[in-house]
Formats: sequence, C-alpha cells, structure tokens
Amino acid sequence: EIQWGEDGRPFHFLFYTGKQSYYSLMHVTFEKLLNVQKYQDQLIAQDLPLQKEKRNLAGSRWLTKIELEEMLLEKLSDDDYSRFIQLLQKLVALPGSDIEEKYIQKFSKEVPVQMQKVVIEPLQHDERGVAFSTGEGRRKTASATAVVYDNGTGKMTVNGIGILHYFPVLQDSREQLLFPFQFLGRVGKHDAVCTVSGGGRSAQAGAIRLACARALRSFVTEKEVEFMRQAGLLTVDPRVKERNKPGQEGPRRKFTWKKR
Amino acid sequence: RLMQVRWSRYNPSFLEPEVNKELYQKPLEELTEEEREQMELKAVRPIKAAPPSLSSSVFSDPMVSKFTNMMMKEGNKVLARSLMTQTLETIKRKQLEKYHKAPENEKETIECNPYVIFHQALKNCQPIIGLSNITKGGKTYQVPVPLKDNRKRFLAMKWMITECRENKHRRTLMPEKLSQELLLAFNNEGPIIKKKHALHKMAEANRAYAHFRWW
Repeated sequence: EIQWGEDGRPFHFLFYTGKQSYYSLMHVTFEKLLNVQKYQDQLIAQDLPLQKEKRNLAGSRWLTKIELEEMLLEKLSDDDYSRFIQLLQKLVALPGSDIEEKYIQKFSKEVPVQMQKVVIEPLQHDERGVAFSTGEGRRKTASATAVVYDNGTGKMTVNGIGILHYFPVLQDSREQLLFPFQFLGRVGKHDAVCTVSGGGRSAQAGAIRLACARALRSFVTEKEVEFMRQAGLLTVDPRVKERNKPGQEGPRRKFTWKKR
Repeated sequence: RLMQVRWSRYNPSFLEPEVNKELYQKPLEELTEEEREQMELKAVRPIKAAPPSLSSSVFSDPMVSKFTNMMMKEGNKVLARSLMTQTLETIKRKQLEKYHKAPENEKETIECNPYVIFHQALKNCQPIIGLSNITKGGKTYQVPVPLKDNRKRFLAMKWMITECRENKHRRTLMPEKLSQELLLAFNNEGPIIKKKHALHKMAEANRAYAHFRWW
C-alpha cells in the first residue's frame, strides 16, 4: 500500500517513525488525557464535585497485543504494547474520564463472567446411615483420594496408617492436612480415610489437602465453598518440576563457563 | 522479542489467596470501598492455590516462615523448621528465667511471648534508607535511596542470619546464637543494630549525592 504521493512526500506526518499508526494512536490517547485533565480543572474551578463512576473491573479486559496489531495493521513490540496499556490505565484512573468513555470502549472487551459451574455432589450414605463424600486431589505426581465421614472424632487414616505415623517428622504437612477442617471450624467433627500414591512427603500432603477440601464441599453451604475457593483450598497447584533443557545442566543452571 | 525468564505456571489473571478466617466472617456493612471492590474482583477471577507453608491455623506466621526459608540450606526444610522452633523455645526459656528472678514491679515489663520478641527485633533491625550504586561520568557513587518494605524486611533477616552464621564460637549451636541476637535486637543493642546505624551514617555522609537519584 503506497503511503507517499507523486512528489515522494509521505501522507502521514509520522511516516518516518516507522510505526506511524502506533505513534498516532499514542498521540490521540494523550490528547484525550489532556482533555480530561482540562475538564477536571474546569470542574474544580466551578467547585463542582468530581464524580467517580466505578468501571466494572471484573467484567472487561483490554485488547491483547495480537488484537491491537490487527486493529493497527502494524507490528508492535511488547514494550510498545505495555506502554499503550499503561497510558489507557492512567486515562481510566482519572475521575473525569467519563467524557472519553466511547474512546476507551474501543479498546476494552467484555469478558464472559461465567466461570465453569462446578457441580457439588450430594452426600452419600453408607450401611450404618453415616453421611460421607469422596474427593480426589493431585499435587506434583502425587494423587490422593479422601473419603470424609460425618459424626466422627477427627481421626484421619492414610493408606491404613494414622497420620502421626505416616508423617512422622513434618509439622508442616500435618498443618496442611488439617487446614480445610480448621478453616471451616470442623476440626473434630469429621473422620477421614485417605489413600495416596506417588510424589514425596510434601506433595502427598498437598494432594490429601485438596482431596479433603473437595470432599468437604458437599457438607458445607455454597457461601463457604466460595470462601474456600478464595482461600486457595480448591485450586489444583499447577507447579511441577521443570524439564531439563539440552545444552544446560539442569532446568536453569548452565554449564560452567570456561574462558578457553 | 523479549523472552520472559521469570514466568510462573499460573495465568497472570490469577489472584493471591487470602487465608485469614476472620476476614470472611465480617458482615458486608463493615467493609470499606476498596475491600468491596476487592471482593467483587475475587468473585470473578480465578485464585492461586495456597502454598504449603501457608495455613489458617494460629501457629503459622508469614514472617516466621519467610525466615525459615531463608535459613534453609539445600532444601532441608525439616532442619530449618526444627532450628526455628528450638530458637523460639530458647527465647521463651531465657525470658521465663528473667521473669522469675525479677522483682515484683519489673515483672510486667518483661516480654515472654517469643513471636512478639521476634517481630519487634526484626522491626528494630530494619534500615530506613539504603545506598545504591549509581554511575555518573565514569565514577560510581553510593547514593542514599529510600527502601521498599519488602527490601527492608529482607535486609533485616539477611543480616540476622549472616551474623549468626559467621560471628559465633565453633561450639555454639544456631538456636542459641539466634536467640541471643534476637534478644539483643529486641533491646536495640547488638551487632546488627550497629550495622544498621553504620548504614544510616553512610547515607547521611553521602547526602550530597542524593540528587543523583532519578526515581
């Protein structure tokens, strides 16, 4: 696409920057920022209150770098993109930014708020009429299943062995096992029978913690399930051991640098 | 294109978990504006899993776990944790000894809670201002610079640990030396407080270069 006329002069005044549409966008956005500041000053001069309408932080996100590139028909670098987003955030943070709402909406997208609705299983009852529920958990190669019974004394069994014998040394892992119960305030009220395999001491403890938290969802109100999620009890920990790369000794450590 | 070296397994939209039980039991009216915004954001965004050192029980303290992690060598968390508990035990013992020997009127001033002593000692060790190397015109100057909270805490803990590892008699064990240093720092005495004052004096001496800082 030819961007200069017959005499060789380019049409756009920022042609020689190399990224004409990006820089013109930055200029326009900054002009809007200055407008907003002027509007704020006018309001202050007239002693009117500065309204701050809360933008829905949760429901919208900025355009991604790829979408912005499509919009501008130009390649951008990561640095350029982040600078643009910082400028937009600065514009939004000012109280008088309501006048520029239309302009800002061009660069923000609605995020569908619907998260995956997790189905909470109903309680099952075993032969004696005691309510119980199962849960599964994984952490770093360790996988665990926990069966949590109601009307219990707080005993916990892992692979047929009590927790004090299975985790002899670590106080950390014992704290982790009791974390879901302690958070809900039900320390002495449930019995748990767990099976676990794989991983190490700490990984097995984390897996059992997740399994117990998932099992406890059926015993507890929806609000408390939401509280558990916000405490980080119900998310699977995605951190695993990083793979070793060729040309290096470990995942990050490089070979010893020898000058000759 | 920049390759990210420090990345995490979580998507950047994940938020940090909040473990404190009492915050969840507060009724809606008592929350401030910011807290309400935070709650709305948390209701929509996914949240990271709680790390193994964090728990809602009364015994877990973020400062203590940070200190244990810094004391840990080659991933031996069991040893670091046991050293930490032994240190807190020795502090308690020493304070109880002092308590029982002291006369009636002084008994109230003696602090027996080892966690309180730990926090206060580290707080006393934190420097307010630090030095940073700025190169201008070929020469490197030590410029006084304000420090962030995280950096202050890190420096206090680092000084404490290096002090206990190096300046001790070969036969004394880590818990004893640490408890000694913590008690001295609690009373604003000891080598770590001296180090902090030395840093402050250097910063004061280099006051002339303070305008080199551009942040």
